[in-house]
Amino acid sequence: MTTADLSRVHDVARSAPRPDNSPGQSQKPARDRVAPIAIGLLLWGYAAVALGPLLLMLVGSLRESRDIFDDPLGLPTSLDVSNYRTVWADASFSTFFLNSVIVTVSAVALGTVVSLLAAYPLGRYQFRGAGLLSAYFIAGMMLPIRLGIVPIFYLLASLGLVDSRFGLVLVYAASGIPFSVFVLSAFYRGLPAELEEAARIDGASEFRIFRTVMLPLVRPAIATVVLFQLVPLWNDFFFPLVLLRSTEKATIPIGLTQFFGQFQTDWAVLFAGLVVATVPLVLLFLVATKQIIAGLTAGMGK
Amino acid sequence: MSVRTSVRLIAVSALVALAAACAPSTNSEGGGDTASGDKTKLTVWSWRTEDVAAYRKIFSIYEKDHPGTTVEFKPFKNTEYNTILATGLTEAGGPDVAQLRSYGGLQPLIEAGNLVPLDGTAGLSDFEPSALEGAKGRTDGKVYGVPFATQTLQVFYNKKIFADNGITVPMTWSQLTAAADKLQEAGITPFATTGKETWMLPILHDTFAAPRYGGADFAKAVQSGQKNFTDADYVASIDVVKSLEKYFPKDVAGVAYTDAQVLFTTDKAAMYPGGSFELGFFQAQAPDLDLGVFSAPPPDGSPVDHALVPGYTDGSYGINTKSKHQKAAKELVTWMATQQFGQLVADELKQISTVPGVAPKDPLLAEMASNYAQNPTPYLLLVDFRYGDPSGTDLLGAGVQSMLLGKSDPQQVAASLQKGVSQWFKPKA
Amino acid sequence: MVQAQGLTTAAAPRSTGGRGAGNRATAPRWPLVVAFVAPAFLLYTGFIVYPLASALQYSFFEWRGTARGAFTGFDNFTKLVTTYPLNHELWRAFLHNGVFFIGTMLIQNTAGLAFAIWLQKRRGKRFLQTAFTMPYLVSPLVVGYLWSLILSPTFGPLNAALRAVGLDSLALPWLGDPQTALPVVILVNAWQWVGFPMLLFAAALAGIPEEYGEAATVDGASGWQRFRHITLPLLAPAISIVSVLTFIGNFNVFGLVFAMGTSEGGPAGSTDVLELLFYRTAFESHGDLNAIGRSSALAVVMFVFIFGVSLAANRALRRREARLT
Repeated sequence: MTTADLSRVHDVARSAPRPDNSPGQSQKPARDRVAPIAIGLLLWGYAAVALGPLLLMLVGSLRESRDIFDDPLGLPTSLDVSNYRTVWADASFSTFFLNSVIVTVSAVALGTVVSLLAAYPLGRYQFRGAGLLSAYFIAGMMLPIRLGIVPIFYLLASLGLVDSRFGLVLVYAASGIPFSVFVLSAFYRGLPAELEEAARIDGASEFRIFRTVMLPLVRPAIATVVLFQLVPLWNDFFFPLVLLRSTEKATIPIGLTQFFGQFQTDWAVLFAGLVVATVPLVLLFLVATKQIIAGLTAGMGK
Repeated sequence: MSVRTSVRLIAVSALVALAAACAPSTNSEGGGDTASGDKTKLTVWSWRTEDVAAYRKIFSIYEKDHPGTTVEFKPFKNTEYNTILATGLTEAGGPDVAQLRSYGGLQPLIEAGNLVPLDGTAGLSDFEPSALEGAKGRTDGKVYGVPFATQTLQVFYNKKIFADNGITVPMTWSQLTAAADKLQEAGITPFATTGKETWMLPILHDTFAAPRYGGADFAKAVQSGQKNFTDADYVASIDVVKSLEKYFPKDVAGVAYTDAQVLFTTDKAAMYPGGSFELGFFQAQAPDLDLGVFSAPPPDGSPVDHALVPGYTDGSYGINTKSKHQKAAKELVTWMATQQFGQLVADELKQISTVPGVAPKDPLLAEMASNYAQNPTPYLLLVDFRYGDPSGTDLLGAGVQSMLLGKSDPQQVAASLQKGVSQWFKPKA
Repeated sequence: MVQAQGLTTAAAPRSTGGRGAGNRATAPRWPLVVAFVAPAFLLYTGFIVYPLASALQYSFFEWRGTARGAFTGFDNFTKLVTTYPLNHELWRAFLHNGVFFIGTMLIQNTAGLAFAIWLQKRRGKRFLQTAFTMPYLVSPLVVGYLWSLILSPTFGPLNAALRAVGLDSLALPWLGDPQTALPVVILVNAWQWVGFPMLLFAAALAGIPEEYGEAATVDGASGWQRFRHITLPLLAPAISIVSVLTFIGNFNVFGLVFAMGTSEGGPAGSTDVLELLFYRTAFESHGDLNAIGRSSALAVVMFVFIFGVSLAANRALRRREARLT
């Protein structure tokens, strides 16, 4: 894949004349009126399928395991939060939560900042080797980094960074670079040259142009790259399992795996643990949906 | 070459720069090796996340008698433990003492020089030779761990369900199948077992069918090359599992391990073929369950006329070559060969201790131990056929699953097992 | 705001030129390029490329545990295709990854495209988009466990529900039957990821001017004809991106399959995929002294395959796109 791909999306969109502010009023034939209702039913039906299992998890977390085994579809008899109490009491979820926040936020921040910088010359300048350099970065999207776990471990060991949150942050940040550079460089490329040139004529330094002219313009794409780094990192259990040792440094997915070992047949408690692990991302997503969708739209369609 | 060298140069310089830039946040290394005050702190790694509380208690007793030492018990996720341990033993910050897998699972660590030989450790020579076999290096024959538990494979049963249906503990194979028929008619699943998680399937096979292939005698014949797994008796032993399929839960290949346990603990199934390692779990999970245990009677046509109870060494404790506290670690491991530790394993962990002369207080565990002691046979595929890849247990597990799904017959399962292990297993002529 | 205004007016004439190339006129000073690129380059090279290059090196040696032994050339590679049952498992895993990819394209990406089109200008769009995307936020491992519980033949609510409404014949073992296990896993994976193509397609659709469709309607084109001849060609670049990302993502499927079919990819290997095979070779081969050498060789084979097919596919898709547009 090349960086050209995403930019082509922009081109397609841009090569067409823009509609006026007033969208044309389309006249639909009568037979087209039944279809929307069927489609509506389908969409809302699928919404139930999409959310159903998550609700089942939530409902299950408020029941007792024995009830779940006897009647898998039943509702909680009373609002019983004892499973949650078990989760908080047995597993040090507050510690895990804090670690997850520290590690994920630092990694995403580091990965995004370096990608923003690197993508800029790749998207804006013409220089010898630019294509090769782009390809080098983007090739990383095709490498499942889990396959490199053993060498990564030895690398961190030689740097004294095993059982260190900082080591994990470095690996995580690096893992997000290919996709971020891919999206951001395409985005930079789609931006018009004029402003930059005006600033350059005014004698602004290149870094200043980057900071004051370019950065505000790519802001929508940042939401996209942040989301696509954040979710997999928040949920990853594999790297912390091998790279971290101390319980006080463990992240939520690690807590969850220990928890699964401990309560393997206690479905109700497991459900409660799963809910606790998932809620933060859901909340974040609900708060940020608008920005995320706007960012994607800006990145893809523009 | 030059490209790689330059890549490495760049990488290393980058890392140095990065590490230097962020040095203040990385000063929390090597927690396992530091001495707190004048006390020596030993770190013990394990795959038994469920045993944290019991081990804390056990080690607090040790600490009382050894005031200069503190012991930290640190369990990791069972499925990733091998990787964590193999990498952990290669650098600073690893454990001082580690729980080790037995038989073949131990060999990579020995070959890499990660473990200290323990021959001559006080008390170790009193252990059963068969128990020590699980902690030995295949090439040098040295002992690298103090075995902590023996596992044995038998059948758990629900006494109340048996009584309600007028069933007594079966002494012959026909009594066993008659009991199963009766339970099935009463709408109770006779045997709760998983068909989904393949590691349990060789256990299932040996629990019922070890007598059918002849147990230890067959093992000897295979070792000497007189027989192999395509032998008619071994094929018949696989057929035993097939003949029991009708008594398993419906769609058994989709039944998860935990599902099978829950079927048994919630009185939906009457019997559970499994290992002594599950006893503690059942007792904790279902304290009201009136639990009994028996060894499976020999199937019809068996070359032996009595029950054979499979068993194996579960694991051992060994010393990390890189531990900075060799003396204290040796002292701890030596203690693990004593009656005191053995008794704690039996009573706190509910496991059959390998230390000679230890009797568990729990009557059921004691019964399992004595069943095994009377008619022991090695859990063949684990004990002898995990020294290469593919392992015997993996091959038979996959084979039995495909048989339960109707995709292959006992001959094919046996042939696959033989074909797989013969790639690395050479009989001693 | 001033910037944005200047942007739209000034950019309009230039940007109709091909591929935004007109924007990249500047020839930079080298130190500047280095300063911008270096941090990402070093981080990426140090923690991704270097370890993976080490894996390549590992694959040419025999290992005894974690100790590196003799250089053995391509021995680890030939063993991959000659050791029973690994050789069978390898081809089977390749096949399943192929089925997984095609299934995901047909189900997940088609549904994502349909949702994106149907959701245009529909009331409740924001809610529905959020609902469809919600499963993406849950860890694949958790999704796998959750669905295993739902589909469990013993205590699963799905079969309980089917039996409750008299559809006993439909209460299949799902994950316990080699016939249904892989399709079920593909469906669950699609359930988790469908929001992703949906959002990408929605974004691409937002860039297609309405006049196109309207002009065609005036000309008497049916809904399907409009879609086939106008929308689809304009979506071609987005479809290419989604296809290639799906292909790559297909090789990262791990947690879900692990949780639903165990590390063996059961039952009877019917859900076994390459990443699981790698996991078993590297971390679960009891007593295999050479696990590092063998698993590194497998990793190298996977890299080469994913890389090669991605490049070839990208080229082919671009050619097709050119035909469509």
